[in-house]
Amino acid sequence: MSDLALSTTAPAAIGSGKRGLRIVQFVSIFVIALVMISPLFMLLIASLKDDRFQILADMGSFRAFWVSDPTLSNYREVANFSGELAYGRYLINSLIILVMTVGTGLVVNSMAGFVLAWGTLRGKAVLLAIVVALYVIPQESIIMPLVVMMSRAGLTDTFAVQILPWVASPLYTFLFYQFFAQLPKELYEAAEMDGASTFRIYRSIFMPLSLPALATVSILMGIESWNQYLWPTLVTQTDYARPISVAIATFFGQDSIFWDRAMAASVLMMIPVLILYLAFQRWFVSSFVGSAVKG
Amino acid sequence: MTVENMSAPRPAPGAKRPGRRRDRQRFWQELGMIGPAVVLMAVFLIAPFLLSFWTAMTNQPLVPRPTPVRFVGLLNFQRIFSDPLFWTSLWNVTRFTIWVIPVQCGLAFLTALLLHQKLPMRNLLRGMFFLPAITSMVVVCVIWGTLFQYPSGPLNQIVGFLSGGTIQPIDWLGDPNWAMFSIVLLSAWQAYGFQMIIYLAGLQGIPDELYDAARIDGAGPLRRFWHVTMPGLRPTHVFVLVITTIQAFKLYTQVAILTQGGPRESTETVVHYMVRSGFAEQKLGYASAVSVILFVIVLVIALLQRQLLRRFDV
Amino acid sequence: MRISMGNRLLSVLSASTALILMAGSADAKTVVTMMHQGDPGWVKAYGDVAKRFEEANPDVDIELIYAPHDAYNEKFSAAVMSKQLPDIMELDAPFLANYVWSGYLQPIKPLVDKDLLDDMTESNIAQGTYPIDKDLYAIGLTDSSVVLYGNKKYLEAIGARIPKGVDDAWTREEFEGYLDKLSKLDGVKWPIDTFRGYGIKTEWITYAYGPLLESAGCDLIDRKTWVAGGTLDSETCVKAMTMMQDWVKKGWVVPTSSGTNQFYAEGQPAALAMGGHWFYAEASAAMKDNIVVMPLPKIGEKGVSPNGTWIWGISATAKNPEIAGKFVSFLLKDKEYRDYAKSQSAFPGLKSFAADSPLYAEGGPLAVAFEQASKTAVARPPHPAYPTLTSAFMQAVDKIFNGSDAQEALTTAAQKIDEDIEDNAGYPPFDEQQ
Repeated sequence: MSDLALSTTAPAAIGSGKRGLRIVQFVSIFVIALVMISPLFMLLIASLKDDRFQILADMGSFRAFWVSDPTLSNYREVANFSGELAYGRYLINSLIILVMTVGTGLVVNSMAGFVLAWGTLRGKAVLLAIVVALYVIPQESIIMPLVVMMSRAGLTDTFAVQILPWVASPLYTFLFYQFFAQLPKELYEAAEMDGASTFRIYRSIFMPLSLPALATVSILMGIESWNQYLWPTLVTQTDYARPISVAIATFFGQDSIFWDRAMAASVLMMIPVLILYLAFQRWFVSSFVGSAVKG
Repeated sequence: MTVENMSAPRPAPGAKRPGRRRDRQRFWQELGMIGPAVVLMAVFLIAPFLLSFWTAMTNQPLVPRPTPVRFVGLLNFQRIFSDPLFWTSLWNVTRFTIWVIPVQCGLAFLTALLLHQKLPMRNLLRGMFFLPAITSMVVVCVIWGTLFQYPSGPLNQIVGFLSGGTIQPIDWLGDPNWAMFSIVLLSAWQAYGFQMIIYLAGLQGIPDELYDAARIDGAGPLRRFWHVTMPGLRPTHVFVLVITTIQAFKLYTQVAILTQGGPRESTETVVHYMVRSGFAEQKLGYASAVSVILFVIVLVIALLQRQLLRRFDV
Repeated sequence: MRISMGNRLLSVLSASTALILMAGSADAKTVVTMMHQGDPGWVKAYGDVAKRFEEANPDVDIELIYAPHDAYNEKFSAAVMSKQLPDIMELDAPFLANYVWSGYLQPIKPLVDKDLLDDMTESNIAQGTYPIDKDLYAIGLTDSSVVLYGNKKYLEAIGARIPKGVDDAWTREEFEGYLDKLSKLDGVKWPIDTFRGYGIKTEWITYAYGPLLESAGCDLIDRKTWVAGGTLDSETCVKAMTMMQDWVKKGWVVPTSSGTNQFYAEGQPAALAMGGHWFYAEASAAMKDNIVVMPLPKIGEKGVSPNGTWIWGISATAKNPEIAGKFVSFLLKDKEYRDYAKSQSAFPGLKSFAADSPLYAEGGPLAVAFEQASKTAVARPPHPAYPTLTSAFMQAVDKIFNGSDAQEALTTAAQKIDEDIEDNAGYPPFDEQQ
């Protein structure tokens, strides 16, 4: 196992001493992690406070990090699945959009990245430069023309309009390119000598080796899709395809921000993405590259 | 196997020429594989962006108005270049980029190294370090707005305590000299998880054999780090650097929520300037011109960066 | 692995296509769309009213389109650009002139019940009126105002005079004198909170600070010639802004980054608060009866207070304007909607609603605010260049409060406003108005 990037353990140290060291290591990293995420405790604490005016009054002091009588009432209120704001519905919408975007995005971007890395197409270098250039375009600058295009295409208020524009992504094509390009060229050459077609090399040899890249893109793309806010606001009209991020914005109202429920909703909204992350980051554990090269 | 194999790809067409039919087949397959991405990007990125090149040369308002849309040539560009606020915003994002890259990428690299070890409950630790990255920016801004509060917010109390009261409370977001730095802190904290998992994937790509070989050669942990980990991560470093630079130049959301470009224009960024002129002031033509300028500037920087780094690569 | 993923994708795709087709199946009902913003309470209130209306009018289907407050302008623009303007829309009053000039709204008088029109307060009429044809284009149940909240204990400690009504509001000399005294009082960290913490995105600055300029005797723009140069950067305005800058320099004003809760947070560090009517709810929750509500001070000869809030207009493209008007009338008269508005301490814009709101009635804690609405309220400049005007003014104030020269900042803002007006050929017929 490759546990040695910055391992402080000497290779010879085996046995009980090593175990003690591991525990020290774990505890110190755990403490660092706690410090890093300590600002988030404020979110959690506020979500357990019942009185939104109290949350307001506590802001800006350490009292924002303490709750004397925690309650789950905010969560109960947010997690309703019926009525005018049925968050369950929005949650499912968001999940559909996420799964479709990431699912198709993985295929489309990895194929493009593969061709950019190993293909023989002419003008490949130009294409790659264009991909980098496209990443430079800020979403804010194309959003209005895009709205007009989509409404002319009759796609307003659909799932498609929230999925299609974000499937092909310069960033993730570039990321896949980077990853594939890193793999040793013997892999490609050997397969080609065996008479495998380009698509077959991609599918049967490079993809199975790319679990870390696939995991990275799934996670990053998933978060991006999950947190999309301005775009779905502009292209959805009704509850039909509206995602949770837009629904949650109701708590951040005009005169009065419903901090209590806004915080609870924000915590709840993090959970699915956290699950996504934990599910996919397992793919980091197994590295096939080494053994494949060896074999 | 040597380290050389890990560097940039030079996919030489095989030693034997596989014949013309195979070439044709390969051509169509490659086209089919890259096609979907090309088409989708052309429709959803290139087309609307080309439109904004045209819009940039008109006085088009955000929404249709009774007054006619006119072609105004380079008037918008002229006005932008003669607006001191535009130059301020450009300087501000440059400052932001220079500061945020070492902080954010450094943080990401260190945490990735920490987590790329055999640890008890590694998934828990990885999950914890990744939490900020999945928190929505609105919430992050609310939290940090409280941490930054002047004069008695948590951050000021910590600074005061650590310095034994010698450092006066800092108006993190309200002092023009500090505001951008505060945005850097918040941004790096929110986004380091992004680069962290790219680094984790990169570390995963370094074959164990390299470490084994180095160990047999008697290399200690530090030497293994310098001679195996760092060279193995070179492409990842380049990627992370280019991506982070581009992201940094697009800085917008945090600023829009927390400071709206203030105090005294010290956090005005190019995208914020663009959104304000396009949406708040409804001058779409003008805003399009800003986005064209930003595009050209960042593109030049990104390509230069890649070229430079590639030179060092060999 | 890829094949099974492809299959799954396909099945999800076909399922969602089926959903889309189902949603497309139309019924014979007349559909009226209404775009609105608001927190979950309001969303629910509108939904309930729509249901009641549909029960009473079975052939009508009210479709509510929610748009988040912070992205409302963008959403509105997107609706215009994609030709999907709703039949009824909620709009922020100062933007009314821009919308009417652009041709998005139609006169609302013929469409809503006459008794509602008679029920409107002066200020409510002002916020819904387009200055060119003096016609009414929008109507609301509510309105707004800004008052001066005071910490009773602190004010007693310095022996400040508590105004009884709008007519005996503090003068500038009194006001600055009290600020000075408060700054020396124990327990007071800042004499006043002007809510700089709201930032420069939310209309707050133009809404709340503009009236101070008007009270001093100048304005954001000349309301006859519609030129900002010579008015916004006039000596009177520069002096008024410099006065506020002085307060900031002396450390009298709560800084931007100290939040918006310093009036009532632990220790009550801010003695006065120039806050909106909505601030009363959060402040009184923490301070109980240690609050006095006073009219805004007179900086010059006359007192001026802001008004305007989110009101209802009917779009020019509405397919069934009569039915849309009928629904607006139904909404404004709906008892439960009014009850919810009351529970949110909404500021009344209809006389009958005012009579029913103890908070604003004679002797109520916010009676002064309601008195202001009839005596000193001045709408923000009703001109199609308002989007640029407010953006430029907010930037200028941010610069001035952080130490820039007032003359320079205001001149830059005035130039920007006038440039916008020129670019639009004077927004005819505003250029002919004298």
